[in-house]
Amino acid sequence: MDISSRRKFLTVSLAALATAAGGATLYPLFRYLAPSRSAESGQKITLQLADIPEGGAKYFELNGTAAVLVKSKSGSLAAFSAVCTHLGCIVQWQKGQDQFLCPCHGGLFSVAGAVLAGPPPKPLEKLPFVVSGDSIVVG
Amino acid sequence: MPFLKKIYRWLNVRIGADEILEQELTGYRLPANINGWYSLGSVLLFALALQVVSGILLLVYYVPDADKAFASVTAIMNQVPFGWLIRMCHAVGSNLMVLVLILHMLSVLFMGSYKRPRELSWLSGFMLLNLVMAISLTGYLLPWSQLSFWATTVATNSFGAIPVVGGFLVEFLRGGKLVGPQTLGRFFALHVALIPLGIGALVGLHLFLLKRVGVSAPPFGLSDTGNQWQGDRYRYEDHPDGIPFFPNFVVKDLISICLYLAFLLLVVFFNPFIFFPKDAFIPANPFQTPAHIKPEWYFLANYQTLKIFPSELLGLTAQGVAMTFLALLPFIDRGRERHPLKRPLFLACSIGGIAVWIGLTIWGHYS
Amino acid sequence: MNLPGKLIYGWKAIVVVIMATLAPVAPAMAQGETVCVQCHSTQSGRALKPVKPWQGSIHAENGISCHNCHGGDPKDAANAMNPERGFLGAPRETGIPAFCGRCHIGIKGDFITSAHGRALGQGGPTCVTCHGSHEIRKATLDLINEKSCTQCHSYDRARTIRQAMEQTENTLSSLAGRLESFKGQGVDTLPLEKRLFSQRNRYRSLFHEVDTVKVKDESAKIALELTALKTVLDKIDSEHRQRRIIGVFAVAATLLAALLLLLLRRTYSR
Repeated sequence: MDISSRRKFLTVSLAALATAAGGATLYPLFRYLAPSRSAESGQKITLQLADIPEGGAKYFELNGTAAVLVKSKSGSLAAFSAVCTHLGCIVQWQKGQDQFLCPCHGGLFSVAGAVLAGPPPKPLEKLPFVVSGDSIVVG
Repeated sequence: MPFLKKIYRWLNVRIGADEILEQELTGYRLPANINGWYSLGSVLLFALALQVVSGILLLVYYVPDADKAFASVTAIMNQVPFGWLIRMCHAVGSNLMVLVLILHMLSVLFMGSYKRPRELSWLSGFMLLNLVMAISLTGYLLPWSQLSFWATTVATNSFGAIPVVGGFLVEFLRGGKLVGPQTLGRFFALHVALIPLGIGALVGLHLFLLKRVGVSAPPFGLSDTGNQWQGDRYRYEDHPDGIPFFPNFVVKDLISICLYLAFLLLVVFFNPFIFFPKDAFIPANPFQTPAHIKPEWYFLANYQTLKIFPSELLGLTAQGVAMTFLALLPFIDRGRERHPLKRPLFLACSIGGIAVWIGLTIWGHYS
Repeated sequence: MNLPGKLIYGWKAIVVVIMATLAPVAPAMAQGETVCVQCHSTQSGRALKPVKPWQGSIHAENGISCHNCHGGDPKDAANAMNPERGFLGAPRETGIPAFCGRCHIGIKGDFITSAHGRALGQGGPTCVTCHGSHEIRKATLDLINEKSCTQCHSYDRARTIRQAMEQTENTLSSLAGRLESFKGQGVDTLPLEKRLFSQRNRYRSLFHEVDTVKVKDESAKIALELTALKTVLDKIDSEHRQRRIIGVFAVAATLLAALLLLLLRRTYSR
């Protein structure tokens, strides 16, 4: 093998090795920085009925995002993701009016989560819940 | 890849990339008799880059709060995927970096490269050594383990021997009478912000001086091994008959870097615990001093010096004198000769000095 | 296992508790012998008998001296055995469990409720039957032996109990050793140590149980927990092995790169 072809062979081998090394470095790096998946989904949370007053709301974290449980004036319960469907702000419960107001752009949602006014394109995402005795399991 | 070539051409006609590459890579000539020791500088740059990258990654999960620091480091070691790898690279890397730094300095010493006109290169390098030791010392506290806590207590305590201001200085360093949460705050700031900035600036200066003064030829294999510098005006020391930096010496640099990396990985994967005594995995307890607290290996000589002198002040003075002597070496040793074997006095002194340092280190380890 | 009394099982914990309560006494003892030891050493017969055995005991090792159990004044020879200074002397047979149980609270409870304890005063054994009085050593399974047990009954059931306990003891100490070595490797051993500690307490509460069925049942339950713990440790071990395998590849690849570069450099040399 003459010098130049040997040189070419070595350079190509080194480039291949460097690529492999790069991949072998990037994988741990990605895993190191990737958000932990353990607390992501399937989480359930138990709340006490007594914690929520008539016409009031209770905010809590569920699966890494904000959720809200409301008891309307009529006493019916509903659970939603508290993330506004417009730009992701957290909707605030308007006590006494039985409505959610998004403070960012004035989006208005009913106690059933439906859009009443403002820019939100979709109703609030409903969350499943089960009432058992004095407690409620959301999720 | 024609597309990449197009981008390069686009860049070339705007900033003259060809010219820069010619000047800095193929046209940058190094002495023909250059040896492997000259690649240690590149190894150090690589080691520093590794410390910066792994350090930034550790910052993602580390919490600089005395109540949470140990738990956060434990989480990095146990919960975060590959956290152990990144932390071990950082901790072992710091030790190996000090080792390579010392080797780099010794090679400069024995080849007489510190001599005129490279006094500033030596001085900036010497300051880098001190900053690297400072960044190691401040980093040692951050895991907030028993080892961290008490090694820092002992290290900061030695400044107390300085007359008049000693007591105040110790308190100032610690941010209080004893090492505590307030010490962690200032050491953290020093470790991740101030000292890295200083190191970056000095590395810049060191490289600028290297490029501006030119690389010194090793004194081996030459008929005249004397210093060729005339001192009447500025001259760039060029080597028109030398080897090109690229590709010849870059390959040599890369070989050294690969060997360094192989050694680092060997320690990290197989026994990183040679640098971690058991106390490194016990959370700091300000009310319980563990037995046999020792500083890291590169501080053992200093530690032992403080112990063998009848008073701490004398020990501290001896260290100060030795360090000042080393810093000012190019101004003290003004002989022309650069070949180590033709400098018997230098050779005797330096080998004696190294022997004393190693002896003190071993003594410190077993004392 | 959550009862505070039960937590005192670990002998280290016992020592810590006692040392804490006796802290002012301990330094005085370190300086010199108590008058009890001074005087009794020079006597003969029954009065001399306790001195030597005590000196070799775990009590002496941990700084528990005569007066810590028998009361009295260890500094004043004249009043050393004065009941007014709290001197108790030796307890009657039925008083022995209460006497020792002042410090060994949890164990006293275990003993009293066991068949041995229920037979107290009716020919049943007391603490000193197996442990001795002054020559107390660190309690081990060796205390369940043919010689001690056959003082009153056959060794058969005791042997069964001891065999069941030995297995647990071995597993416990092997797990403890493995945890200790993990500790020096940055493994988060704290939650694992807690699990092991609670199983050890559970195991220790069996020491005074003489019901073979109960000992076997409980030992099986402990074994189950310890197997679960062992699985966790095995997983860590296999992960460490995996790391070393990756390490071999990483180091080999870097060295290969160095070799290729070396060959490449040869093509440039003049």
